[in-house]
Amino acid sequence: MAQAGKGKLNYRCPSCFMRDLDIDMFYDSEKQEYYCIRCQYTGSEADVIAKNEMARFRYRFINKRFTEADFEKFD
Amino acid sequence: MGEFIVNIIHRPEMVPEYAEKVTGHGQAEDLGRKALLTESLDIFKIQQEAAHRNGLKTTIQMTYASLFNDEAVALAKHDHAVYGDEIATTLLGLPCEEFRKKYKTKDFCIWMFDMDMKKAVVDDVFGKFYERFGFYPQSTGSYYMDAALINYIKEKYPMVKCAVATCWEEGPKAYHTCNNSWYTLMDGGPWAPWIPSKVNTHAPAANEAEDSGIVAIPHLSRDLLACYDGNGSNFGTHPQNVLRGMVYTPGQFDESGNYGGQSYPYLYNLIDQYRYQERFNNGYSYNMQFVGPGWMNKMGRWEAPYELLKASYEDGCAYYGQLKKEGKLIDMTMSEFADYYRQKKHYTEPECALWRDIVYGSNKQLFWYCDPYMRACVNMDQGGAIVDLRPYAAKLEWEIGIGTPHVQECAYPFLIQEKYRAGYFTHYAGEGTVRSAKICHNGEEVDLCLCRTHAHFSEEPLPGGRKARLLTLDPVEIVFSDVTVKLQTVITFPEGESDIRIDRHVLEMSDPSAEITINEYMVACYGVNEYPEDMTCVRLYANRDGDDHALSYAYKCRECQVAQADSVEAKIPPIKTRVTLEAQGRDKVGYYREGYAFSPMFTLGYTGTLKEKEEFTTWLKLAREN
Repeated sequence: MAQAGKGKLNYRCPSCFMRDLDIDMFYDSEKQEYYCIRCQYTGSEADVIAKNEMARFRYRFINKRFTEADFEKFD
Repeated sequence: MGEFIVNIIHRPEMVPEYAEKVTGHGQAEDLGRKALLTESLDIFKIQQEAAHRNGLKTTIQMTYASLFNDEAVALAKHDHAVYGDEIATTLLGLPCEEFRKKYKTKDFCIWMFDMDMKKAVVDDVFGKFYERFGFYPQSTGSYYMDAALINYIKEKYPMVKCAVATCWEEGPKAYHTCNNSWYTLMDGGPWAPWIPSKVNTHAPAANEAEDSGIVAIPHLSRDLLACYDGNGSNFGTHPQNVLRGMVYTPGQFDESGNYGGQSYPYLYNLIDQYRYQERFNNGYSYNMQFVGPGWMNKMGRWEAPYELLKASYEDGCAYYGQLKKEGKLIDMTMSEFADYYRQKKHYTEPECALWRDIVYGSNKQLFWYCDPYMRACVNMDQGGAIVDLRPYAAKLEWEIGIGTPHVQECAYPFLIQEKYRAGYFTHYAGEGTVRSAKICHNGEEVDLCLCRTHAHFSEEPLPGGRKARLLTLDPVEIVFSDVTVKLQTVITFPEGESDIRIDRHVLEMSDPSAEITINEYMVACYGVNEYPEDMTCVRLYANRDGDDHALSYAYKCRECQVAQADSVEAKIPPIKTRVTLEAQGRDKVGYYREGYAFSPMFTLGYTGTLKEKEEFTTWLKLAREN
């Protein structure tokens, strides 16, 4: 089995990202999957993208545009 | 309308951080790789064009490596002549073949070198700069500039007036995010420009005698809530930071290969919330954008393709440019800003920030206060508790670099830090650092940390042209089984006094004849990260009529109470700090508590009694203790 390499983008481990760890993943071309060298995550590119979307759950203001009037206005 | 000042800074970093390590994966290290050098300069050009296209001037911080590159030097001269950009230098970007051959080290952080090496590198960089441009730079910087480094530069090159000198709350959190491999340990500094003292860069100068002679600016303007809680490199006025944090909606490539449809309102909200701070700072607010070329490399980064990296930078510049066109932004070079700042601010004038969550969807609100005597954070989501406190009053000497006790550690030590030392909530036992109060009635007890509220900022004049900054919290209701108390907190920061005054007003009680007990307390320790320090150096005191009831800390869980105590205090020799609590109110009893091994803290406090319409006042005072 040949060594792993980088994939086409610098995908980070989505599982580690959710615990505030930036770990670039490596790509196993034989299994066609990314894997994390720090934790046990493995996944296809589609799975990584889906999990990254999931990681955004905590950004409830991700699409909100604040105006000046909003900075001291609370629900 | 206030003045919103922006510094846009670019550095031609011939071997960008990340680029060689990340995009050069699978190749042996080669700092002279032609493709790397060409790409780096191309990115610098793109950044310059993005700023100029939007009518913004920049500060070009020439790196050591770029001073060996004729094209980079020519570009800087051209853009200075055509656009009025300032040509400055940075002590970042040292890695290159010439540096490695000359100094025989892979170290690249100027503050980590020993003092002889710092001087040699500074003289080399400034000398090379003079050789290429015929003058010395007025601005410089790095991620961190320790006091000895600044003092040396100022002594040898007195024309330097501005420097990038810290990166806000880049410390253990950034270290952990980088899998414990990124050694920028510099928590506890100002988030906005300041005049560093000669003794400790993070502690602002209180007067001319303490003035280091430069105006310092932070590396990026960072989210004052998100970066306090999480990874600093995800939430700043650095468009690719926002991508790194995934705080954006990705776009996509169309059939022609063009990328579009991305959105990052958070970046604009962040800029706008900084603009909002002029209300609390005498009509002035500030932003800084400083993106190293490595963040825009052709291989893509943080899941983002190059096209998105580039677009985000252009969009960031476009927003600043739009604000400028609308008359809402003044772009300056670093040296211009230093002159502006010296005119605008006086030494004891604090920097204040009333900051709300703009990322996570909560109603959390923090207030940050920074002056030559302290940096404090008040958390309205915890009833106005002080959750971070750095005693700048001590002006702690803290040598940094190889050959000193602190090879990497630059943080200004804390007395209180709720993230590293638990705060209100602890697991199973012990206490965490926080300054709060407990309200008690008939055996029931409620900590104000559980009373969520919001605050309003105001100012009041003080003698000598000074002002007090007041934080008036919305009243909270405390519900006991047989009485409900409506209580309001007002926190006052009198300028130049090194004190924090806290007033608790009982506005109403459901039973006007009821009486409650208040326990004003401060749980503290000292440190720079999550791990406990040796507390046996700490001495605790409860002072009354000349008797101090002194106790040497020995982890024995001892307590002392003194009725009508004049003050209670702790002396912490490793950080040369004395912290004192004083109180005014009915039935006041001062106390201190020693901690124990599983709770390596100390507590200072006062108890008292309150009825409807009564007040209880405390003063937290910080001083240097030799």
